[in-house]
Amino acid sequence: MFGGLREKLQAARSRLGSSIQTVITSPAADAEKTGASNTSAPAPEKQSVPPVTPEITVKPTIVDKFKVLLIERELIVSEKDVSDALSELEMTLLESDVALPVTDAIIAHVKKSLVGKHRKIGESVDSLVVGALRDALLDVLGSGFDLQAYIRSHPRPVKILFTGVNGTGKTTTVAKIGSYLKKQGFSVVIGAGDTYRAGAIEQIGVHAERLGIKIIQHPEGGDPSAVLFDTVQYATSHKIDVVLADTAGRFHNKANLMSQLDKIKRVMKPDLVVYVDEAVAGNDAVTRAAEFDKTVGADAVVLTKADMDSRGGAAISIAHTIGKPLMFIGTGQSYDDIAPFEPAGVVGELLGDA
Amino acid sequence: MLDGLSSSLKDALKKLAGKTVIDRAAVDELVKDLQRALISSDVNVKLVMELSKSVRTRSLEEEPPKGMTVREHVLRIVYQELVRLVWASTDVKLEPQTILMAGLQGSGKTTTTAKLARFFQKKGMKVGVICADTFRPGAFDQISTLCTKIHVPCYGNPQEKDALKITREGLAALKEQELIIVDTQGRHALEADLIREIIDLNLLTKATHRWLVIDAALGQMASEQARRFHEAINIDGVIITKMDGTAKGGGALSAVAETRSGIAFIGSGETIEDLERFDPDGFISRLLGMGDLKALMEKANEAIRPEDVNVDAMMKGKFTLRDMYKQLEALNKMGPLKQIMGMLPLGNMELPEGVYDVTSTKMVRYRIIMDSMTPGELDDPSLINSSRMQRIAHGAGASPDEVRELLKYYKMMQRTLKGLRGASGGKFNMQRLMKRFSGMQ
Repeated sequence: MFGGLREKLQAARSRLGSSIQTVITSPAADAEKTGASNTSAPAPEKQSVPPVTPEITVKPTIVDKFKVLLIERELIVSEKDVSDALSELEMTLLESDVALPVTDAIIAHVKKSLVGKHRKIGESVDSLVVGALRDALLDVLGSGFDLQAYIRSHPRPVKILFTGVNGTGKTTTVAKIGSYLKKQGFSVVIGAGDTYRAGAIEQIGVHAERLGIKIIQHPEGGDPSAVLFDTVQYATSHKIDVVLADTAGRFHNKANLMSQLDKIKRVMKPDLVVYVDEAVAGNDAVTRAAEFDKTVGADAVVLTKADMDSRGGAAISIAHTIGKPLMFIGTGQSYDDIAPFEPAGVVGELLGDA
Repeated sequence: MLDGLSSSLKDALKKLAGKTVIDRAAVDELVKDLQRALISSDVNVKLVMELSKSVRTRSLEEEPPKGMTVREHVLRIVYQELVRLVWASTDVKLEPQTILMAGLQGSGKTTTTAKLARFFQKKGMKVGVICADTFRPGAFDQISTLCTKIHVPCYGNPQEKDALKITREGLAALKEQELIIVDTQGRHALEADLIREIIDLNLLTKATHRWLVIDAALGQMASEQARRFHEAINIDGVIITKMDGTAKGGGALSAVAETRSGIAFIGSGETIEDLERFDPDGFISRLLGMGDLKALMEKANEAIRPEDVNVDAMMKGKFTLRDMYKQLEALNKMGPLKQIMGMLPLGNMELPEGVYDVTSTKMVRYRIIMDSMTPGELDDPSLINSSRMQRIAHGAGASPDEVRELLKYYKMMQRTLKGLRGASGGKFNMQRLMKRFSGMQ
């Protein structure tokens, strides 16, 4: 998963590291000398000042650098040192489908945490860079979402509503999560809330049948709120643990469809609203996630189609935009191709220190 | 956010306004904003870099055509470079043929198949559909429901797991139909056996067209996926779906560039009629988040012919009511002012709603008033005294105040033109004229 992004990030990381390294090596060499003379002779200024003098007049920051270098044996990373490497990192993120505004935010974060940082001479550049990148990514990806723990700690039935635009894989995701929860020992009922798209009821019906999960259906063209209300009623009277409510895909700029979703929400009162989007989406992922979050809310995100050679930028974009945890990642066509999302693990894998 | 972006592009363009010499820094800035606009529309990053490089080189090296401002020159290059990418429009012929649909999961192949069936049916062709999606539950129900609604025969068998077998049988069953569309299962390029399957389907059907269906929201991977589909079955057209959302379709543009094909259709809604032929200009405008550039350029060119406006006389400072009348007429030819403003990539976009209407009705009034002036008055407005003003107002069914207002407006135009003469020394500047208009209310 996210192999592409991982490769690229590692390239960017070594690039960042080396650009800091090269800038540093030249004064560092001087520093070693100065440091050495410092210990041997009590009058080091005379030795160290001559090579520095021309620069003192031009750039006072060099003095600061040197001061820190002499006194604390540390180096300051300047903006110039990292700007090339940062613009490369920016390209990396953009090529990985991280939306532009999100990329800007991450770059700013990394820059801020690198520039002006004091670095001990002995300390590895790599760890500095990786640290900054990891902080930035973790900061964005948040902490994940433990669905099982959530279900255990809430009164049953736990009602989960799935939303998203057309063709992101809501129905397949509902089936996968149904299968996952069933394996964990929860009882599940599915509500066929997509009454609009031709064949959608049949699609979820076949899934439910294969998985041995009870499904509540109304004929095509019915009111989705009614179907889902019935599903909740069924769950309550049969003491079912979890209600999974599928809905028709809709675009966030269609006011009527969005208010229909709002009605569904009022009627079935979901405990969790899960926003489903695909890992292959580009910049629009940000726009629509924000819009869904604004109009019907979203408590967690499921990212589908992560097996499509995707770079996973959409995960970062969506998480950054709406600040909601990623719950699951869909990674294939079979029911088992779903995995809980663990940010620390993913970031570790991306940066190659797992 | 996207609005912010396109407005930054507009700002960059504004900096080029009124410049007669190409300013390297301004061009660089424009190119940078162009890159950002395109990247945030999901155009492949590498493609954006190539594109912006050639825009930059051409802007700096090519001499702007006579009479064109630097900004128009750069805009034209941007436009031309983009059009070059989407230029090849896919030829859709109304003759017996087989169309093979390919695409990623959830891109909208099945819905598009039904829409295409409807499109060709409306053109009077006998259409048949084969459902070769043997994987997704409900796929056959979906397509057969849609086909039943439009009375198009649909062949499929949800029990059968062999797509090739279904297709072979389907081709036999539908041999009466002139045009056959084969809907396939969603697949991505990393699924080797599915790619194998579509290669076999292509061989079996001897498809006339192999169209790749692409979700408008698809991001950077569009290029890579398109390339692999292209390698497998030689894609000869792209259909962009879900253009009714907010996605810009840059991924589809990358796919077109990758397959060197064209965009055949655009899907823009959930009903079976929501399928449009591709219009490159509208598409590019959407990518850049700006008004319709080409339409404006063409309209401006045809509306303001040199003989309509006596540029030389105006530049000499001789600007009469007659000239103004011609200008108003020229503007009128370009359509409602509001539309023109919408097409202008930078004009006075922040004008409050309603101003346009006031202005364009005023323009009509002005013309009527001028119609009741004598030729002498039109050539030399200083002749107009208060009794003449009374007469003109009477003739035009207007009040003397309106006539006064017109004269005030004329004077302002005259001043503007005088100012122009010094500044750009070029042609009659329409943008500036617009500004004056809006100032007038």
